[in-house]
Amino acid sequence: MTDPLLPAWSEPFVGARRDALRHLPPFGALDRAWAIGGSDGSGITVAIIDSGVEREHPAVGGKLVRSVKVELAADPEDDPVVLDDDDGLDVVGHGTACAGIIHAIAPGADLVSVRVLGPDNRGKGIVFAAGLDWAIEQGARVMNLSLSSKSDALFGLFHDLADRAYFANALLVCAANNVPGNSYPSLFASVISVAAHDLEDPAAWFYNPSPPVEFGAHGVDVSVAWRGGSRMTATGNSFAAPHIAGYAALIRAKHPDATPFEVKAILAATATPPPA
Amino acid sequence: MTDPGEGARHRSPAFDRDARAALAAIGRRAEVARRLELGSAEAVLRSLVEAAVALFEAEAASIALYEPARNVLVFRVAAGEHGQGVIGLEIPPDRGLVGYVFSSGQALAIADVRTDPRFGRSFAEQTQYVPRSIVAVPLVDERGTLGVLEVLDKRSEASFSLRDIELAGVFARQATVAIRASRVERDTATLVRSVIGALTAGEAPDAGGVEARAAGVEALVAAALVDVGDPDDPLWPLVEQVAALRRAGPEQRELLGALLDVLVRQAERGRGRRTGRLRAPGG
Repeated sequence: MTDPLLPAWSEPFVGARRDALRHLPPFGALDRAWAIGGSDGSGITVAIIDSGVEREHPAVGGKLVRSVKVELAADPEDDPVVLDDDDGLDVVGHGTACAGIIHAIAPGADLVSVRVLGPDNRGKGIVFAAGLDWAIEQGARVMNLSLSSKSDALFGLFHDLADRAYFANALLVCAANNVPGNSYPSLFASVISVAAHDLEDPAAWFYNPSPPVEFGAHGVDVSVAWRGGSRMTATGNSFAAPHIAGYAALIRAKHPDATPFEVKAILAATATPPPA
Repeated sequence: MTDPGEGARHRSPAFDRDARAALAAIGRRAEVARRLELGSAEAVLRSLVEAAVALFEAEAASIALYEPARNVLVFRVAAGEHGQGVIGLEIPPDRGLVGYVFSSGQALAIADVRTDPRFGRSFAEQTQYVPRSIVAVPLVDERGTLGVLEVLDKRSEASFSLRDIELAGVFARQATVAIRASRVERDTATLVRSVIGALTAGEAPDAGGVEARAAGVEALVAAALVDVGDPDDPLWPLVEQVAALRRAGPEQRELLGALLDVLVRQAERGRGRRTGRLRAPGG
């Protein structure tokens, strides 16, 4: 799109615009064999903050180790409650799609589902924040967030959570939201914000040196797991983020001392070079 | 929900009853206004989905709006040969693709929908049409999410592209602006609360009274508004017919006015007869 009002976050990663992404990291390009070679994500827990994950779906490979759901407390003054969600269901299919993408890239990683989209539409931003808070407390090293809040009232809360995740050594991987205006935490500096590129290659990811959306990953016509053990072809930034979450899990498993900003730097330095 | 009696202990039962009746009346009027305004906003929304069908060369396009009182997404307008079956369809905000797009605020597109037999069947049972591909984008601004725009089956392609998602987003923004401008989302409860807040703001707070009063007002408003949106109320089909009549041409309007006159006169005569019968035994 050429409309300057439209935050077309995918635009730098699509077609001829990709050529402009040439960028030389100050320490030179790193080798993917060094960054992720031999890693399957073992020892890393990835939290999927979404609509739930279908535990029995073949694409999840039995790696869903825990499912919780977050709900508003009966008294609105109280914090939302986090409950075990033993059914292991996904009423939409979207969380299962994200889990399947991550598992395909990092089959050794443990997956935790944090269901924040429920039937109660009140206070959904608060519920989302509480789910993120819980995942940080649980020590998840990578979190996939294919959703965000636009509520200005929650700016401070999400900013605090993004900082706490960073200081707790947890990496937030967020899908960029292609609607105008603010979007938290996907547009904060400490997170990895991802939009879709239009190549049919799940192993291709691009680094964009112009924030806020720094990474582009496979997000067009992605074959994804869906509810009821099915599969579907889907397009959206939602499906680009879990690709980066999967590669981040591989890096974190192989380089356990790397901190969130170092993981981001390794992802940037091992990004697919734009065509010469 | 707080017990209505708890915060209202200091008031007389007669006050509570009168206040509740007044609130219910306000809520009812606001709900009627909301539905009438929806009629005018719907014309804009309908033209947007028609434009979307034409631009995307799609089989159908529709807009579902969120109704907070009943916590459902309701398809209000649709265009395209295969679109009409969806009008009036209600879905919970946490179910299906449209529910996901609404609750997450994330735009997405899916293809090969028919490969998920459950998806196809549930969709077809409700709308008599199973699409191959869908793009769905939220109607969202900084004040919240109002609903979802979806476009089904681009004729020229098997699936929707990133650019299609962004174009659909442009239509969604137009729809959001149109709805906000007509204030169709006006929330009755918020309106009533703000009025009561303004009325009671000047009162001197007694010991612990402010919070108790606030809780009492909340409970009273909730209790008074509980039946306002009742979908079985026979008033709503009438209101929706009146809303539809606003789109009538000048000649039709004249005819409708004459017809309504006849009906009103008949209703008045009927009421007179009933009142007469009631009076007869006493008189």
